[in-house]
Amino acid sequence: MSDRGAGRRLLSSVFAALVAAACFTASAQAQTHVLIASGLGGEPRFSQRFRALGADLASALQRKYRIAAPNIGWFGEDSTFADSHYRGRSTRDALEKEIAAMRARAKAGEQIVVIFIGHGAGQEGESRVSLPGPDVTVGDVQRWMAGFTEQRVAVVNLTSGSGDFLPILAAPGRVVITATKTAFERNESRFAEFFVKAYTADVADVDKDGRVSLLEAFRYAARETKRVYDDATKLQTEHAQLDDNGTKQNTAEPTGRDGQGLLARRFFFEAPGAPGAPIAAGGDQGIAALYHERFALEGRIDSLRALKPKLTPALYDAELEIVLVSLARKSREIRKAEGRP
Amino acid sequence: MRQSLRFPTVVLLVTGALLPSRLLSQQRQAIESFSEARIAIAMGKYAEATAYLERLPRTDSTWMDAQVELVRAFALISKYDDAERVARQAVAAPNGKEALTALGELMRTRGRLAAADSAFARAVAEHASDSLMASLNLALLAKARGDKAVPARGLDHFIDVYNSAAGSLTSREMMAVAIACRELGETNAELFKDALKAFDRAITLDPANIDARVALGELFLEKYNGAEAQRTLDEVLQINASHPGALVAAARRLVFDGQPGADSLLATALAVSPEFVPARLMMARGSMDLERYADAARDAERALKANPSDAGALATLAAARFVGGDQRAYADARARALALNAHDAGFFVTLAEAAGRVRRYAIAADFARQAIAADSANWKAHSVLGMNLLRLGKIADGRQSLEVAFKGDPFDVWVKNTLDLLDTFKNYDESTSEHAVFMIEKQESALLTIYLKDLAEKAYAKFQQRYQYAAPPPVRIEVYRSHADFSVRTVGLSGLGALGVSFGTTLAFDSPAAKDAGPFNWASTVWHELAHTFTLGSTDHRIPRWLSEGLSVWEEHQARAGWGASVSPGFLEAYRAGKLVPISRMNDGFMRPTYPEQIGYSYYQGSLVCDLIVKDWGEKAITGLLAEYRGGRTTDEAFQKVTGMDMKAFDRRFDAYMKERFGPVLEALALPGPEYPAGMGAAQFLARADSFPASYRAQVMAATPLVRARMHDEAVRVLERAHALFPAFGGDDSPASNLAVLYRAKGDTAKEIAMLKVLTLSDESNYAANMHLASLLIVRGDTAGALEASERALFINPFAPELHVVLARLYEARGDQAMRVREREALVALDPVDKSEALYELAVAYRAAGDLVKAKRAVLRALEDAPNFERAQDLLLAIVDGRKP
Repeated sequence: MSDRGAGRRLLSSVFAALVAAACFTASAQAQTHVLIASGLGGEPRFSQRFRALGADLASALQRKYRIAAPNIGWFGEDSTFADSHYRGRSTRDALEKEIAAMRARAKAGEQIVVIFIGHGAGQEGESRVSLPGPDVTVGDVQRWMAGFTEQRVAVVNLTSGSGDFLPILAAPGRVVITATKTAFERNESRFAEFFVKAYTADVADVDKDGRVSLLEAFRYAARETKRVYDDATKLQTEHAQLDDNGTKQNTAEPTGRDGQGLLARRFFFEAPGAPGAPIAAGGDQGIAALYHERFALEGRIDSLRALKPKLTPALYDAELEIVLVSLARKSREIRKAEGRP
Repeated sequence: MRQSLRFPTVVLLVTGALLPSRLLSQQRQAIESFSEARIAIAMGKYAEATAYLERLPRTDSTWMDAQVELVRAFALISKYDDAERVARQAVAAPNGKEALTALGELMRTRGRLAAADSAFARAVAEHASDSLMASLNLALLAKARGDKAVPARGLDHFIDVYNSAAGSLTSREMMAVAIACRELGETNAELFKDALKAFDRAITLDPANIDARVALGELFLEKYNGAEAQRTLDEVLQINASHPGALVAAARRLVFDGQPGADSLLATALAVSPEFVPARLMMARGSMDLERYADAARDAERALKANPSDAGALATLAAARFVGGDQRAYADARARALALNAHDAGFFVTLAEAAGRVRRYAIAADFARQAIAADSANWKAHSVLGMNLLRLGKIADGRQSLEVAFKGDPFDVWVKNTLDLLDTFKNYDESTSEHAVFMIEKQESALLTIYLKDLAEKAYAKFQQRYQYAAPPPVRIEVYRSHADFSVRTVGLSGLGALGVSFGTTLAFDSPAAKDAGPFNWASTVWHELAHTFTLGSTDHRIPRWLSEGLSVWEEHQARAGWGASVSPGFLEAYRAGKLVPISRMNDGFMRPTYPEQIGYSYYQGSLVCDLIVKDWGEKAITGLLAEYRGGRTTDEAFQKVTGMDMKAFDRRFDAYMKERFGPVLEALALPGPEYPAGMGAAQFLARADSFPASYRAQVMAATPLVRARMHDEAVRVLERAHALFPAFGGDDSPASNLAVLYRAKGDTAKEIAMLKVLTLSDESNYAANMHLASLLIVRGDTAGALEASERALFINPFAPELHVVLARLYEARGDQAMRVREREALVALDPVDKSEALYELAVAYRAAGDLVKAKRAVLRALEDAPNFERAQDLLLAIVDGRKP
């Protein structure tokens, strides 16, 4: 019993912070501005693949995640393409202009997402993405991102040989994802297709909250990429990385529990009102209250998980059961209030 | 990772330098001088050279040198009496001291050690020009007697000689320094490198010093550098393809590198020098590997006839007698060996290695301990002890011995590899079942233990009942994700072409995830190796290799339809061509294959022998045979007792059985069918197939052209005929596999299913066929059939999540909640991306199986990662609220 009491005391010490974090997640469902740049294919099969990935992602962002069409800019290898999101060739100038436009329209607290698809080349400061005309270098991207001081930023480089982008772009408060560990992993990358699939198909929502976080998309794509190589009994030639705290440590398998992944775990594309997005401010106050109670319970679960190493398994499970049962009952109340089965 | 000493590969200045081309060209002409005769000996022209040297008059200024060469040449080709005659004449002649060392070496070769010692001592005392070599020989003789002080002093002296007079030493003197350094290397490994340097200089000084070249090759071999040994010995054999020492060393190198051809090199060596002891001893060791202990003893005895004091021959004789079960003869050989040197660690090492090679690991470890007791600085003994302790499952003790061995001999790649592997054991989980302990790499242990525990316990129960023997638990089962690691665990080196190994109660396997192993049936492999545990254990490890393998395959066949090696056209063609070994020599098929497929055929042939025994004499005859082996009987004796037949009669019975069992197929294969001139079209192939409907070959020859010509109906016709002629064959490119494709194209699912069943029941590793069959049977509502196919697929690849989903649903449909739980547990063990879903499904399965405690625990784990997982929330509430499923 004394253990149980001690556990509760410890639990309360982090409770407030985690509840706050949960509430922040809810309030942070602001507009997301996305730039997708698919680069040169070099061969028809690559051009076709990069085009398809860009189109699928842009389409899903509007259709599934309800991001406003003007907030989605997709640039590609071709001059024209029959897609409402397509903005033309992905030249460095065009991308730079789009970044400037995003900077002009994005408000404080909103989200900026830049995604590169295609082939990469170069090392360290010379790392770049192959585009029509001059390539975009990591230095360009660093300069572009520096202008977003009041927004949450994610740079997702899905190109081969993209690994050296991460140590240069990594910064506190910024999510950086690369398809490879280093610039030397130059072989054809499979990570991109699984990353896009995480957003286009219902496959990556592992915490079952109805949304796909950047962390979930990353983990899904990394796992499936590994499986492709395992199934083909080949040595894996790409190892995706994620950094969202600027430390550049433990980037291959971020857990989102501590260290890497905490920010990416709470980085969602859903616009307010999209399926799975938390209730918008100004909605039904009764339901909003229920949600806030649910957020509080989620916070208790987070804090309990943080304490897991210090608790006996039996005590941990007992505490977990109490909170999870409460959460389950609260969710049922919400569903009932929302008229869902 | 520990650093090993890599024996230098290229430090030699002139090892590659061959004999002077001028001299080589002269070998086409008659020998006209001593130096030409010497070159001729170096090149293996023994008859011509010795004839010339014998004719040389005493008045010739080179006469004494010629006599020394003559002695050594005669000795090289086993003409010991001639050699002794010449040596004694030379010693009796003026300046005869120059022949004393050669005489001493000859006496040593003939086992007359006192006479050898005396001759060497005289050479030293009388300051013969080769007294340095005589000094070395005295030290080596003392060492062979077990006198430690004398050789240590004597050998150390050679380092001083080198340091003070290297520039003035002759080639043979430099070779003496090299040999001294090699001997000293046993206690200071760095000196092996000095030996290498000295051999190099000896060859530089005299490119015709073939002995130095051979000794250098042997040194490379002793230090585990097969590539340099081969290069050195190849050079020697290029100069002299008849040098017995080089031939034997080259044969050893082939064995070292796992390459065939050693037998023919040994045969050549013995043709040149019929009494050459190293060749005889290697022959004996080969016979021991084939478990022909009488043959081994015969070779060892013959070696001893040439040299009654050869420690290696005495040890080999003792080993042959011991593993052959003749304790009295063993005791006699042992007494003779130890009378020469009571502290001969090498004697016990030979015994230990021989026992280990015939799978008697505990005895091998005991002999290794005796070797260490005789000489604690015998690093080979520590290595052999360590390896055998690991085979016995004594990991910590084995490691300790290997650490000692490696410290003493850092060149030993087997020991280094094994120690490096042991360092990785921290990455493995250990778990237990009633009779076994499992060591499996952490990332797959959760999954594999689900199946392995069940499989191992079922096998244990089955074999215990069949063999009336309880293997002492725990049986240690190690599973390796890396085939290279498995190979190192098994033989100390990578590259082993097996999937599993049984050391008795310690087994090692490739994991089904081992990329470099290719697809294989891991469950039948486990079954096979566990069968060895019982057949080895119940016979006190005396069962011959071939029968143990045959029984293991036979047990696979008994366990599940489709498991184990099966009949193929290749096997039956080999039988028809007389390429299967007779049962009386079946170990040859495993240990001395003469064509690449022979080992595989021998496994199947061994199982057919077991089928025959059970058919003619009943299953009890199997245990009867094992009892005879346990009692120390030979195969001849055991078969005579149990079957009433000698091995020749049994060979005849087996031949008749083959005809009984495969008669119609053999006939179909024997039919030659028509000729096939180039440029024939599909219609012509078809016409020939139709004209020779009983010819298997005629049908299969027509199938591919017909498919290419899109004549699918006709292709089906010939393939159906072929399948009817050989219905049991379902391997790659079998009629059944091609028919399955054609039936599928035609949309004839029923016939496709029938062919897929043939494939899956005759090829235990056909994952794709099993998965496809399962999917077809599911559509047809054949749950039982789909389950069978899916379970077979599981034994090939347990890592496919979709397979476990299919199995879980099939078991759910059949109402088998326990098996449904097993599959849901497997899915969780696979650590899928969507683990919460997997845990939820597991919780549902537990609840359906009535295990609410586990159900609640699983759903809590699901919700721990996905707290808002609504289906899991509902399930949790249902469980805590006590609602029924």
